Amino acid sequence: MTREEIIKSCLIFATGLFLLAFTLGPFIWMIWISLADRADFLVTGQVEYSLSNYRQVLTAHSLHFLDYLSNSLWISTITAIIVTLFSSMAAYAVSRMRFPGRSLVPLLILAMSMFPQISIVGYLFEMFSKAGLINSHMALILPYIAWTIPIALWINMSYFTQIPLDLDKAALVDGAGRMKVLYKIIFPLALPGIFSSALLVFIACFNEFLFAIMLTIDYTAQTLPVGIALFQGLHGEIPWGNLMAASAIASVPLVILTLIFQRYIVAGLMGGAVKG
Amino acid sequence: MQATKITIKSLAKSFVTFRGKVDVLKSIDLAIEPGEFFVLLGPSGCCKSTLLNLLAGLEKPSGGELYFDQELVADSVGKFSGPFERDISMVFQSYALYPHMTVEENIAFPLTNLPQVPAPEVMKAKVKEAATLLQIDHLLDRKPAELSGGQRQRVAIGRAIVRNPRVCLMDEPLSNLDAKLRNEMRAHLKDLQKKLGVTTIYVTHDQLEAMTLGHRIAIMNNGVLQQVGTPVEIYRAPVNQFVAKFIGSPTMNMLSGELSEESGHLYLQADALKIRLPAETAGSLRARNLKKVTLGVRPERLYVKSEGEPNLALPVNVIENVGPEYLVYSFHQHGQIVVRTPDEPAGDRLELSLEAAHLHLFDEQGTRINL
Repeated sequence: MTREEIIKSCLIFATGLFLLAFTLGPFIWMIWISLADRADFLVTGQVEYSLSNYRQVLTAHSLHFLDYLSNSLWISTITAIIVTLFSSMAAYAVSRMRFPGRSLVPLLILAMSMFPQISIVGYLFEMFSKAGLINSHMALILPYIAWTIPIALWINMSYFTQIPLDLDKAALVDGAGRMKVLYKIIFPLALPGIFSSALLVFIACFNEFLFAIMLTIDYTAQTLPVGIALFQGLHGEIPWGNLMAASAIASVPLVILTLIFQRYIVAGLMGGAVKG
Repeated sequence: MQATKITIKSLAKSFVTFRGKVDVLKSIDLAIEPGEFFVLLGPSGCCKSTLLNLLAGLEKPSGGELYFDQELVADSVGKFSGPFERDISMVFQSYALYPHMTVEENIAFPLTNLPQVPAPEVMKAKVKEAATLLQIDHLLDRKPAELSGGQRQRVAIGRAIVRNPRVCLMDEPLSNLDAKLRNEMRAHLKDLQKKLGVTTIYVTHDQLEAMTLGHRIAIMNNGVLQQVGTPVEIYRAPVNQFVAKFIGSPTMNMLSGELSEESGHLYLQADALKIRLPAETAGSLRARNLKKVTLGVRPERLYVKSEGEPNLALPVNVIENVGPEYLVYSFHQHGQIVVRTPDEPAGDRLELSLEAAHLHLFDEQGTRINL
């Protein structure tokens, strides 16, 4: 190895280590606290490790942890499905068909997402109150759809435009209708993009806080971030152990999803479509 | 199945953009006979692919009518049948194979879209038949990424012929193949078209493909048909300078200049070059009273002369040996003259004779003067 290569690999290693510590540090801290029986163990030096925090979070009915979890899963899943469906159809139209204002549509949709959430949440509250939707799953699913469609549309568009137009033409000539072209040809080929956009939408909804705290009232519709944030209010003191255990469990679905989907989120699916 | 006749009447296509309307195809009239192998030839950007897309039903015409046999398939008023209703198939330059499907699924795809989807075993048999015809029946389980360029092209052709379409359209199908494979596939395609007898329209910018494949060729430039005819007709009697220069390799020599009389002979003075025209040519040119003409002569129709008075004499600049013959280049002020000759010329000057029968004359607008 030359001097240059040694320096290069040292720098890469150091940067990697730093990033790893930076991202995993708080996570490890969280796990650690969640496993300790008392949160001030570093001060007192006395610690016993147990799963009692986890047991408490999962079983204590007053905490409603499982309600929050299921709300979060339902709301995020439904949003991700609807957003994927609509954003992929929109991305297909925008990337494939010729119609007036074609280049304007994605920009307008992107412009929608430029409004800060806080600027519209007041009006949303009023609107949903009138419609009687406050404290329901719909109260979160609807704004989440509007809020995440732009990013999903743009991700899908970037993947769809990589698929050669000749494939559409060939499929149309071969007798497939536009919908069949979409789900038989474009969908399978843009799968990495569709999975990444669906995953991002899911994560965004799963973590969202502002809409969730403003548009819901109790555990029938509140999601995990809100629920966990409200732990502290219930008992007077801050139950760090419970908080951390709940947070650790809350990250499990995201980790599982990412692990499942990461094998789809790979390039190289396009090989052999057109001249190689 | 009875082959289909295609009639194109004043077909036009324009696109509307922010900068205004752009006419890309201007009133095309054509009749393509049943079972014909018809080639659309032209340089890149001459809109031959647009014409093909109109025939395919991938674009709507802005004017004119299009008939398959007696059936009107598209006009500018509102009648429009899609590609599948027209029962056409298409082979693309880029192959356009579905990368996530196997070869078998690729070829079977058009069959799965039929109103009555054939039974699986019928479908399998049809795919097998097409694949055997194209010698790719051993590749049915592979994905396109695992195939060579030539094999992919065969799969694309298999997909196009599997449902016995009325018309087969080919958009530069051989352009992505290397030279050797292209020659092989060309012969194979010609044979296949003969066997199937399907009306085929083939778009290319390669004159060699056009000359060897087509029963008839239509030459296009800037959205306008220049000439339609058999390869021989087009080679022997190009209607204008564009066609004359586009067909033939090396291209036809063009010499423009003024005509002048001198001691009973008619001469063409093209820059520094003075050409004595053969007596027959001179006679008919005199009758027409023309001042300026362009003389076109193919490299193989310039004959090296050893005795007698030559029609023109050239300095020799470069000699290329291309195997069975020599190409002799002579550069002049505005271009070059190429002579194709079987023997290597000696000396640095070439004396050449012309034959009236093999001269092409064009007027100042570039249109052929028929003598």
